[in-house]
Amino acid sequence: MRRPLSSLNLGTNVKVKLGRAGFQFTSDLQHLNPEQLSQEAGVSQQEALQVLQAADTGGGGGTFLSALELLQKEEGSRSIVTFCSQLDHALGGGLPVGKTTEICGVPGIGKTQLCLQLAVDVQLPQCFGGVEGQVIFLDTEGSFLLQRVVDMSAAAVRHCSMLAEDEEQQVAMTTFTVENILSNIFLVHCRDYVELLAELHLLPAFLQERTKIRLLIIDSVTLPFLQLFDDLSQRTRLLQGLGQKLIAIATNHNIAVVITNHMTTRLRGAHSHLVPALGDIWGHAPTTRLLLEWEGSQRLASILKSPGHMETTAQYQITCEGFRDAAQSEQPQSKRSRTFTD
Amino acid sequence: MVILREGMCPGLDEDLLRSLRAADIRTVEDLVSSDSEELAQKCSVSYKALFAIRRVLLAQHTAFPVSGADLYEELLSSTAILSTGNPSLDKLLDSGLFTGEITELSGGPGSGKSQVCFGAAVHISHHLKQSVIYIDTTGGLTASRLLQMLRSETTNTDEQMEALQRIRIVRLFDVYALLDCLYGLCGGGLQQASVGGGSVKAVIVDSVSAVIAPLLGGKQSEGMSLMTQVAGVLKTMAKDFSVAALVTNHVTRSGSGDVQPGLGVSWSHVPRTRILLERVETAPSVSRSSLRSATLIKSSRQPCCIKEEFDLRWWSGAAGGASGKRKLDQAGS
Ligand SMILES: Nc1ncnc2c1ncn2[C@@H]1O[C@H](COP(=O)(O)OP(=O)(O)OP(=O)(O)O)[C@@H](O)[C@H]1O
Ligand SMILES: [Mg+2]
Repeated sequence: MRRPLSSLNLGTNVKVKLGRAGFQFTSDLQHLNPEQLSQEAGVSQQEALQVLQAADTGGGGGTFLSALELLQKEEGSRSIVTFCSQLDHALGGGLPVGKTTEICGVPGIGKTQLCLQLAVDVQLPQCFGGVEGQVIFLDTEGSFLLQRVVDMSAAAVRHCSMLAEDEEQQVAMTTFTVENILSNIFLVHCRDYVELLAELHLLPAFLQERTKIRLLIIDSVTLPFLQLFDDLSQRTRLLQGLGQKLIAIATNHNIAVVITNHMTTRLRGAHSHLVPALGDIWGHAPTTRLLLEWEGSQRLASILKSPGHMETTAQYQITCEGFRDAAQSEQPQSKRSRTFTD
Repeated sequence: MVILREGMCPGLDEDLLRSLRAADIRTVEDLVSSDSEELAQKCSVSYKALFAIRRVLLAQHTAFPVSGADLYEELLSSTAILSTGNPSLDKLLDSGLFTGEITELSGGPGSGKSQVCFGAAVHISHHLKQSVIYIDTTGGLTASRLLQMLRSETTNTDEQMEALQRIRIVRLFDVYALLDCLYGLCGGGLQQASVGGGSVKAVIVDSVSAVIAPLLGGKQSEGMSLMTQVAGVLKTMAKDFSVAALVTNHVTRSGSGDVQPGLGVSWSHVPRTRILLERVETAPSVSRSSLRSATLIKSSRQPCCIKEEFDLRWWSGAAGGASGKRKLDQAGS
């Protein structure tokens, strides 16, 4: 079937010129070389070359992967543990690399704490079952607290050195130090949505060079988009574009993207309840959505949606060492009895 | 009257032309109105080849008076109905996805659109032994979930692997890449993907709104034109290659709280059948349920607004899933 030139990824300018010169379909460009096209359509040679390349992509329909090949890839890839084993279990081993995950919750519930914990955990050496990657942290709220990272890193290092058995692990421990952990975190401050979008625009080039980065954190994605937009639908569009950009980054560079989001109240009938902010349509953007919430004095982490895991709930606590399983005594009866009989 | 010429359509070569002349078939009209079976014998060509030529000519010269019976036969020979593997959805779809048509699933985040797509892909590839193309534009697809679903269908690992091999995945995240892919599929990609496994019977785009919606509205009008192109190439592909196209769409909520599929009015004409997926609300703050409802909101075969409920755990393998499935089976019969 004939493909109209307007369906190619080209500047509007160039498309208009092609149209004026009578070129409508990719088949009209057959047998033309860049010079001829540039003369006939009045575009630069560079543009003509781009046009011909874009028109030439058809044929195979892109690079296909069988589900079997994808399965093999997935089996070779590790998740980032949270250090809350209940949550890791619910997520099938932790936060997936190559996907986007959103953490929603009210202020103070521990969204940033979990982000900082992940920034440390993604660096666990491979011989301890870790991902051994670097982190880029986009801070839009000024919430990155260095002292917390130091505490969490020290705890993680302590934990691993206790586990270290064979020589490989002993050797790995010589470089898995608080100092190295800190130097593997790249921190960027973004003050508004323009800066955030600009940063994300530049990110692929940065990731191309820093191939060890396995985690991108945006804490939070909400604040930059809370400022007044004249046209709310423009905000929705920008956010949708941002979502697509994030999943493209996650897939193409094989990194985990973790973003945080606030909560907002919504009225349903006479009841108001809390829902994740930024609107319903944004809700499609992250692959997995986690909700952190209070239940009495207990903190709960629930899967709000996931394309591969049931919507379950785990208990967690935040100690001075970081994000952890809820203390034994606070766990439900069934869980406790099982632990005792083990 | 159109004289038959060599190269008018694939398969119509010099030899065949000569034997057709000998049988007194000179024009397209002669060929179309003759009895293919008899003619095949006279000209010693295969009935299938002749039938294919006849079909192409019919399509090229649709102004010929064609009997309704002919058309119906044509329709039957090219339309297949692909069961989604889920009885509730099949009921709404009048037994499954129709080849040659676009079917749409819409719903909010986590409403189960992708789960239904996964389930259909697994069922078509495992039970019907046909290939499926899965275009993932949101990064939601994981092969481990497909495997989990397959495990509840068969315990034979060879069969599982074969089924996985027949599902061809492409991940892309913008509309130009989607158009590249769809045009490429029409320009030979579908045949290529068929090699080895069965032929491609279904193309799934999950989701179509993710790549189109960011371009709509605002000042640029380009989004509209790109959406029209996506619609056009999907339709042509479905028809010309007899594949079932299954797409997903988000929903928008009006001021009064009504939920509607996204992408606006002009898109609403594109899918032949539309299904809305929603969470079944249990009492608030009770643990979240895996029940979903599916409502038929557009159809040319069934009265609209039929509603069915189903459980997302239907497809879950391993623990409890298999027995859950059996239970659901009984409940359904
Ligand atoms: N292994 C599983 N077992 C049971 N239920 C599951 C499983 N995996 C996913 N689910 C259910 O499916 C839901 C997600 O559905 P799905 O991925 O189809 O959403 P979606 O409609 O595609 O949403 P989005 O628009 O955000 O992509 C989960 O929230 C969960 O309830
Ligand atoms: Mg989905």
